[in-house]
Amino acid sequence: MVLEATMICIDNSEWMRNGDYSPTRFQAQAEAINLICGAKTQSNPENTVGIMTTAGKGVRVLVTPTSDFGKILASMHGLEVGGEMNLTSSVQIAQLALKHRQNKKQQQRIIMFTGSPVKSDKKILEVIGKKLKKNNVALDIVDFGEDDDGKSEKLDALLASVNSNENSHIVHVPAGPNVLTDVLISSAIFTGDGEAGSGFAAAAAASAAVAAAAAAGGAGSFDFGVDPNLDPELALALRVSMEEERARQEAAARRAAEEATAKAANEGDEQGASSHDVAMEEMTTGTMVETAQRGPDPMEDEAALLEQALAMSMSSSETSQSAPAMEADTTMAEAKPEDQLQDLAFALEMLKQTPGKSSGPTDMSKVLGDQNFVSSVLSSLPGVDPNDPSVKDLLASLKGNEEEKEKGPEKPKEGEE
Amino acid sequence: MACLHNHSCEEHDCSSEWSLYKHIDIPHVSALNESVTGSVKSVFKSWEHRLDNSSEFLESNDGDPELIVFIPFTSDVKIKSISVVGGTGGTSPSRMRAFINRDSIDFSDAQEITPVQEWELAENVQGELEYQTKYSRFQGVANLTLHFPENFGAETTQIYYIGLRGEASQIKRDTVANIVYEAMPNPSEHKLPAETGGTSQVL
Repeated sequence: MVLEATMICIDNSEWMRNGDYSPTRFQAQAEAINLICGAKTQSNPENTVGIMTTAGKGVRVLVTPTSDFGKILASMHGLEVGGEMNLTSSVQIAQLALKHRQNKKQQQRIIMFTGSPVKSDKKILEVIGKKLKKNNVALDIVDFGEDDDGKSEKLDALLASVNSNENSHIVHVPAGPNVLTDVLISSAIFTGDGEAGSGFAAAAAASAAVAAAAAAGGAGSFDFGVDPNLDPELALALRVSMEEERARQEAAARRAAEEATAKAANEGDEQGASSHDVAMEEMTTGTMVETAQRGPDPMEDEAALLEQALAMSMSSSETSQSAPAMEADTTMAEAKPEDQLQDLAFALEMLKQTPGKSSGPTDMSKVLGDQNFVSSVLSSLPGVDPNDPSVKDLLASLKGNEEEKEKGPEKPKEGEE
Repeated sequence: MACLHNHSCEEHDCSSEWSLYKHIDIPHVSALNESVTGSVKSVFKSWEHRLDNSSEFLESNDGDPELIVFIPFTSDVKIKSISVVGGTGGTSPSRMRAFINRDSIDFSDAQEITPVQEWELAENVQGELEYQTKYSRFQGVANLTLHFPENFGAETTQIYYIGLRGEASQIKRDTVANIVYEAMPNPSEHKLPAETGGTSQVL
């Protein structure tokens, strides 16, 4: 947790319009700067960060070193890209800004983003470097973008003249599929912060992976693009929210199907129906129990909706399934739509607390009442863990419900009519 | 003003006189333009060891003879005189400028601000020379900054020993040693002894 005052020099020259780092060099740079600011302020609450531009309207200090993260972010808005970068004067002005920092106990550091070509001589850069070293200022260089005319050698020479006891670093980021922020996270600029910095870097890497996965549509070998080892809470939260979303969509699909089937209540094949239905039931814990609106819909639309719902439930259980279980699911998906409608009717009847709409509540309660049967069915289902607390709650609530039904089976019927 | 130390040290105990180094806050001693970070701490030792050249010494960066040494004390001191032992071959510093009670002077500040006192140094390899201070100006010193702008012609400046003679008072400057931040008030940590017990106040 080094106490540090940092000045970040943004390169906002014309070369930053280039798109070889997505989306543009300037955007990539801005994201990297946000990450660095976050890392600095996290590693030590008394750290301060300042921002200045090296091109555009000229070398200007946008924010003097402050620990107010919001102020730093706000200053990056509306920055214009243009002009040429002036490396020597930006280093001098950064040094001046650091000299007048409020807390003299902070170590001084400059982070320089150089995306455009470096015009200054190697000798001049070395002189600047020596002056920084003399005044105990560390320098981190991010070399990205243009790479020509010995830019890398010049920057390496600059680093060598500044470096005192390994306090300064340089990172060369070649153009290509690399995301600038990712390369920086794994570099010494972040890990040089020590424990806290690497913790932040790990969290940032996880969130960056999530963002990348969302953009690329689930790339990567992990569920939802987040490594459960790295961030188990995040992975669990994502999984639960995905299931809830699917459940919600299935409920919507089922509501459409219910309209046509509620009139023709048909108890289909119990065995197959109950297993399928319990699967859907388990998914919709706490979201159902609404009566659907009446309205005739064509059977074909419902069939299509059903296919969709089933496909979604199949894909959700894909990631955590074994091969034979998958085959069982696909065979279920291939069942005829009419059978599925009947199955759905059965499911609806089971789910509803008011038995008024169906003709055989007592049969269902007997089915559900056999707890062993239900739990054996559940355990045979792929992707359902009988020890899952949500499943246990569901079973307990079903047991309680059917007890209530037995106490007063007549009352709800009368209330209904 | 130089003063020759040309008597044997049995008559008066030199080491006890030059004992102000015991009151230096060694962990917080720092230097600018030193080639090896932290080597400045080796410069403060007892009088007997002032000529020990074997271990570390303070050396400036190559090609740049300027040095700034920042010396904080554990309590306020009064400095009577200063002794500096330099290296041979022109590496001894030739001038010394002192500043009192200023945090973090860097090289541009050192050029601009008028020092409290300035001396022309001679080569002092044997450590016999001492430079007296204007004592009235060196009362109540919490930290001392020494700036050595030039040497006798070498590429680097080497300093083996800096001795300080004077008195230490017991007055300590106010330093905030330990700051604990509280993100949210925690009543359990702010309990006042109450009659019935159990009531707490957040101050």
